[in-house]
Amino acid sequence: MTTRAVENWTLEPLVKFVKEASARLVLVMTSAGQVLAQHGFSRAVDVMSAAALGAAIVASTDEIARQMGQPPFAALNHQGERHGIFLAAVATGRGRLVALVVYDLEVSSLGLVQLFFEQLAADLQAASPKDSVPKQVLAADFERELSASLNTLFGR
Amino acid sequence: MSLVNFTTREITCKIVYYGPGRSGKTTNLHYIYGRVPDSRRGRMVSLATQTDRTLFFDFLPIDLGQISGFATRFQLYTVPGQVYYNATRRLVLQGADGVVFVADSQARQLDENLESLQNLQSNLLEHGVDIRTVPLVLQYNKQDLPRELILSASDLDDALNFRGVPSFSADALHGKGVFETLKGISELVLKRLAAGTTA
Repeated sequence: MTTRAVENWTLEPLVKFVKEASARLVLVMTSAGQVLAQHGFSRAVDVMSAAALGAAIVASTDEIARQMGQPPFAALNHQGERHGIFLAAVATGRGRLVALVVYDLEVSSLGLVQLFFEQLAADLQAASPKDSVPKQVLAADFERELSASLNTLFGR
Repeated sequence: MSLVNFTTREITCKIVYYGPGRSGKTTNLHYIYGRVPDSRRGRMVSLATQTDRTLFFDFLPIDLGQISGFATRFQLYTVPGQVYYNATRRLVLQGADGVVFVADSQARQLDENLESLQNLQSNLLEHGVDIRTVPLVLQYNKQDLPRELILSASDLDDALNFRGVPSFSADALHGKGVFETLKGISELVLKRLAAGTTA
C-alpha cells in the first residue's frame, strides 16, 4: 500500500500511525478538504473525493456544535459491516487538520484507532511548521500553458 | 487556499460555483464531467435530495496537466442554491481559491441573483474574505431562452457586476460558455498564485 505526503512533515507520523493502528486508508487534510498526506489510495482523484466528503462531514458537525454553543466534537465514528470510519480534527501549527481513517474490522478496531490517533495528533502537532510564507509559484507567462491544457481537456 | 507542493511540484485549487437555486451550477459541472476524458477527472460526487436538488454540494476533481512545471488539479464544487441551505453553502465556501457566480438570466430571477450575490458577500466575510479581493467571474446562464424572458449580458453586467470582473454568457445545458467560464476563473486563480499571494 502506498503512503504519500504532499507536505513532507506529515509523512513520518502517518507511516507510524498506519503501522500501529493497522489502518487501511488514511487521509490527513486541511479543514477545506485539501489533502496533505494519504495512505492506501490508488488514484489521486479518488483521494480528492474522499477528502471532500470527509471535510464536509467534519464541517457539518462543527456547525451543529457551534449552533449548540459547544466546542467542536472531538471525533466521529461510523461502523459498517466490514469497515469502520473514524474522523477527527487536530490543531497544528499548519492550522486545523482533519484525519480520516478507514479500518478493517477483522484486523483493527475503533479502540486501536483511537488509541494510536492520540499519538498521531501529538506527532503532527510536534512536526508541523509554525508558519508558512507564500512563495512565487507559477511563471508569469503561465496563461499560454493553461490555455493549451484546457483546450486539450475539452478536446478543442 | 491553494495547496502547493514544491517537492512534488503539484498545485491543487478549489473553485466554487455559487448562485441562486436552479441557475445551472450543477449543470456546469455535469457538462464538464461529460467533456473531460476519464483519465483527467475523478468521480463526480453529488450530495443531492431525492428530487435531484443539491443538498450539500457537487464535487468534481479535474486534472489540468502540467502548468509551469506543476501538475495542476482543480477541485470544482457547487453549493446548494436554495435559501434554506445557507449553513451548508457557507461551509462549502471555506478555503475557496476562486468563485464562479452563476446567474439566472431570466428577468424574473433578477432579485434572486442579487440576493444570492449579497449572500456570497456575507458568507465570504464570515470566512474573513472580502468579496472585492477573491478571484471571481460571473456567468449569465440561460441566454438561450427567448429574448423577451431574459436580460441581456449588458443589463446583467449593470445589475450584478459591480467589480467589473470577467463575465460570460452561457447556455450550460448545451455547453455554451462553460469552457470559457472555467478558463476565466482558472486564469484569475493561477494569476494570484503567480503573483505569489494566496487567498
